Amino acid sequence: MQVVVLLAGVVDPKWRLGTLGLRPGTAQVEDTALPRKLSPFDEAALETALQLRDADAAVTVTAILTGGAESDGLLRAVAAFRPHRAFRFGDAAMSLWDPATAARLLGAAVRAATEAPALVLMGREFGDSDDGVLAPALAEAEGWAFCGLAHRVALRDGDILLHRTRGARDEILHRRPPAVVSITNERGNRLRHPLMKNVMLARRAPVEVVAPPTAPPPALALRAIAAVPPAQRGGAGRVLTGPVAAQVEELAAYLRASTTGAA
Amino acid sequence: MHDLCALIPLGDPSVADPFAAVAAAAAIAARSGGRVRAILLGRVPDADAIAAAERDGATDILSAAHAGLSEPPQAEHLLAAFEHLLAAETADTLFLLPAGAVGEELAARLAIRLRGVPLGRCTSLDRDGGQVTARRASHGGRAEARLTTQAPRCFASLRRPAAAPAAPGAARREIMLDCPLPNDVPPPEIRHTAGEQARRLEGARIVVTGGRGMAGAEGFALLRDLAALLDAATGASLPAVDAGWASVGQQVGQSGAFVTPDLYLAFALSGTAQHLAGIGLNARIVAVNSDPEAEIFRVADLGLVAPWQEVVPELIERLRAR
Repeated sequence: MQVVVLLAGVVDPKWRLGTLGLRPGTAQVEDTALPRKLSPFDEAALETALQLRDADAAVTVTAILTGGAESDGLLRAVAAFRPHRAFRFGDAAMSLWDPATAARLLGAAVRAATEAPALVLMGREFGDSDDGVLAPALAEAEGWAFCGLAHRVALRDGDILLHRTRGARDEILHRRPPAVVSITNERGNRLRHPLMKNVMLARRAPVEVVAPPTAPPPALALRAIAAVPPAQRGGAGRVLTGPVAAQVEELAAYLRASTTGAA
Repeated sequence: MHDLCALIPLGDPSVADPFAAVAAAAAIAARSGGRVRAILLGRVPDADAIAAAERDGATDILSAAHAGLSEPPQAEHLLAAFEHLLAAETADTLFLLPAGAVGEELAARLAIRLRGVPLGRCTSLDRDGGQVTARRASHGGRAEARLTTQAPRCFASLRRPAAAPAAPGAARREIMLDCPLPNDVPPPEIRHTAGEQARRLEGARIVVTGGRGMAGAEGFALLRDLAALLDAATGASLPAVDAGWASVGQQVGQSGAFVTPDLYLAFALSGTAQHLAGIGLNARIVAVNSDPEAEIFRVADLGLVAPWQEVVPELIERLRAR
């Protein structure tokens, strides 16, 4: 069974985005100077794929990282987890801002891995530009089944079993392959640590790169992007210090006043 | 200029605020004119839903019912029914769905299915001539992108705007659907989770949240005790969910639930931009953190520089004694 995990990486959230903007004269984001890492959702998708591989010798895992050469270090980090194959798909000019175009490109990426995908895993958000559109868009564009925000995946008798939480209910869904599943983070899919020998092997191994097909002009154009300051909040900013008992007494009084006043 | 049409899936309690899309469409119409259509889709006609859509500013309401929909409805069935309803649409239209997992999946899939443009979860939308301009958060809420399209059909999800325009009154129409629904997708097995999530995050007046610094599930048990005393919901940061101390449904932030309580009690969390993006701007934040440099204090109405291990048990005791 062919399992493909699509990874995007994000700009390291610890780094300031002050230089973020568009490359002059283009609709491409200039963030290549900022360090990249896998997002928590990339990690959850990758771990899910690795668990499926570990559980079933018939599972073949291909990890695909989108992006340009600035992502090669990240690809080596992914390769250290020893998927059956790992390659980078794309170049610095590839943009995923237009979901319809992105879905076509991601479909091409999956086909570069296998002509018969059974399961495509993605994080619930794909990279810095996506808020959950790309996984269902890919499924719809390819005519594959879809399940969003799963936190556990199993394969049983050719079916895909998916656990997810929707509001106050837990759901178990069955999907027939091929299917796209977006993964959310949970304790059970925290990414393992790679073996040091595999890290060293991945550092020396060549990076496989697959070029994307030429994309048509996007229907949705990115016109501007910039870092934004934190939203202004009206808090009084009163910070208590001193003996904990006195702080707690003041907090209790604050809560009593707040809850009584609102009642 | 694009027409405005809110698509409202009914019958799924996990859709916290289905009529947010109507209110968002009404806010756009208040800025740039035009009528606000709302298409409500459920298993049976729902007079309360029609009234709610009218209150939120819909001027033309189509209430569509399909007896084949389950409760909660399956996404594939909603897609088929909405696709049927929109098949005859010819005018340029900006379709709006409520923010959240269900609305966002429907928006993305409908857009691709109907050869429209999916705009994602937008913070604002504007129409000018034949162009739609969308603003969207990126980079975990630390940046904002401006995108434009001239596509005739656009699909976006939005949260409820802060200010709602007056409702002008609506023309109403009800129809029964009998279009075929896919029968090759088995319904999910549903298990309702235990009491800890009985108080929903969305709509809660008080939210008690723990972060990475809670250092274990035991701390979250105490937070649940505190939440019970305050009739509050319990939330968690992404690292706390990652660690397994709280469930996926309790995650607050850019990638989790968006909450709009009066009071937000944040214990042992640093206050990253990604987390704060999940808290409404009108919420008063109370922060407890042993690190006086924690970012959360910059946005707090009241802050306690103290370890949660000392604060929470003492606070519970005092609240019980009142």
